Amino acid sequence: MIDLSVDFAGIRLRNPVMLASGTCGYGDELSKLLDLSRLGGLVTKTITPEPRSGNPPPRIVETPSGMLNSIGLQNPGLDGFVNEHWGFLESLDTAIIVNIAAPTADAHARMAERLAPLERIAALEVNISSPNMKDGGMLFGCNPVAAAEVIGAVRKTAARPVIAKLTPNVTDITEIARAVEDAGADAISLINTLVGMAVDVPSRRPVLDNLTGGLSGPAIKPVALAMLWKVRQMVQLPLMGIGGIMDFNDALEFMIAGASAVQVGTATFVKPDAATVLVSGLEAYCAEQNFSDISKIVGSLAT
Amino acid sequence: MRDIPSVLLSNEEIATDFFHARIANPFVARSAVPGQFLQLNVTDQLSPFLRIPLSISGVDPSSGVVEVLYEVMGPKSHTLSRARTGDVLHCLGPLGNGFDPPNAGRLILVGGGIGVPPLLFLGHRAQTNGSQVVLLIGARTANKLLPDEFFKPAAQRYLVATNDGTAGHSGMVTDLISAQIDSSADCVVCTCGPHGMMVQVAEICREAAIPCQVSLEEYMACGFGVCVGCVVEIAADDGLPSAYAKYSRVCVDGPVFEADRVIWRST
Repeated sequence: MIDLSVDFAGIRLRNPVMLASGTCGYGDELSKLLDLSRLGGLVTKTITPEPRSGNPPPRIVETPSGMLNSIGLQNPGLDGFVNEHWGFLESLDTAIIVNIAAPTADAHARMAERLAPLERIAALEVNISSPNMKDGGMLFGCNPVAAAEVIGAVRKTAARPVIAKLTPNVTDITEIARAVEDAGADAISLINTLVGMAVDVPSRRPVLDNLTGGLSGPAIKPVALAMLWKVRQMVQLPLMGIGGIMDFNDALEFMIAGASAVQVGTATFVKPDAATVLVSGLEAYCAEQNFSDISKIVGSLAT
Repeated sequence: MRDIPSVLLSNEEIATDFFHARIANPFVARSAVPGQFLQLNVTDQLSPFLRIPLSISGVDPSSGVVEVLYEVMGPKSHTLSRARTGDVLHCLGPLGNGFDPPNAGRLILVGGGIGVPPLLFLGHRAQTNGSQVVLLIGARTANKLLPDEFFKPAAQRYLVATNDGTAGHSGMVTDLISAQIDSSADCVVCTCGPHGMMVQVAEICREAAIPCQVSLEEYMACGFGVCVGCVVEIAADDGLPSAYAKYSRVCVDGPVFEADRVIWRST
């Protein structure tokens, strides 16, 4: 048995592979399709202070080597999450990171305060990057001052490490990364989806009811890698690589470029067990390379 | 629900751009109920990217064979149409909730276009459970109709309507419903097809005070509930939508819903 365990911002993970927010729900559906205890952890679908019904359909459309989504953060709200989903999540033998979003910095802080007593939460991931939230999300993540304000507020009330999830829809992502580092973030995850659009030619209308959506999947992997590598050079914080990871080779690319851990997202929609297959691939790779500690590969990019 | 590599046993064009595929998957063949669907991976490459959701049109539990019917209309169905006997496709299923007609004495199935396949499975199963089944099939034109051999095992009686009058009744399949409603029997209608057709079927059933179940379609990514992409607006049990539950997922909350709870979107 190869030991893939890593330390990520003070959290001990069984391995550096997690399921990304919005692609694994609150764990219950996927638990029927793969062994969640084989993973480093999972990041919940974003929860907001109040329930949100999300955007009208159509919400998704396939694009070349990826897809657009405009779900609009449909979720049961903080109370609904705690009452309906926490019991199951708490029972899982894997690290649970709770992803939060709110309309103001104060509202973020209050969510962190409310979640503080839930001891099984390994960390909070703050979604300052959703392109589908008109009253938050990317509004914060596109502005270094606003991003720092939200992360600073969460850091004050959170009981566990705070991970800032960044948007790629900015001129210079390193500016936002430095701002959240200065504001006290314990780690950064990147990237969220890229704003994109698909047009239906016969009707000359956008396919998505929301007009635009977030692009994910292998189509965005090169963008994600470049951004992760740039951020790696500008901040000291541990990084969680996200963007089009389909297999262990993709994960290694992100780790070599500087990611201490990775999240598997859209791949799960195509192959529900993509993340656990990826873990097996990493184990085989480490055995073949005679690696006793996978974190040795992190940031080993030769330039 | 399991994701199992499954051998393609046959894949033939049976009407213009309509294909019939048979897949070896004993797990699905033994556990699926009518109205449930599969997510098939049509390629190991990155494009087309997502799986194709296909309704199950029939099963043979003894041989472990599952059947689907699909129309070639996009990159995924086009790729699938080129798959050959012996190819292995990852097959996730059975997915979703099937039809559950309350002990119907008389089951009226109304299918339009490529919405017909789940009704074939339902009709076959319902007859073995003692229901009298009539199948109403709508198509744009005669060469878009499945061959008769697909309809015969699904119903004691079937009637066809084509928009251009090249086969059967000239007009809409919904024109055929009223004459089939028998007030002396417990009638139930199950339908699957284009949005506009299902809206009409639901309206006819509402006026006739007959239970109606609809199988809905929406753009779908995962097929097992996590992406929350394939939603439709469904009224809560008390008739009032709640904030969070305004939208239900076609893949796990459906695809079959009670027609009178569907809030049809205008197109």
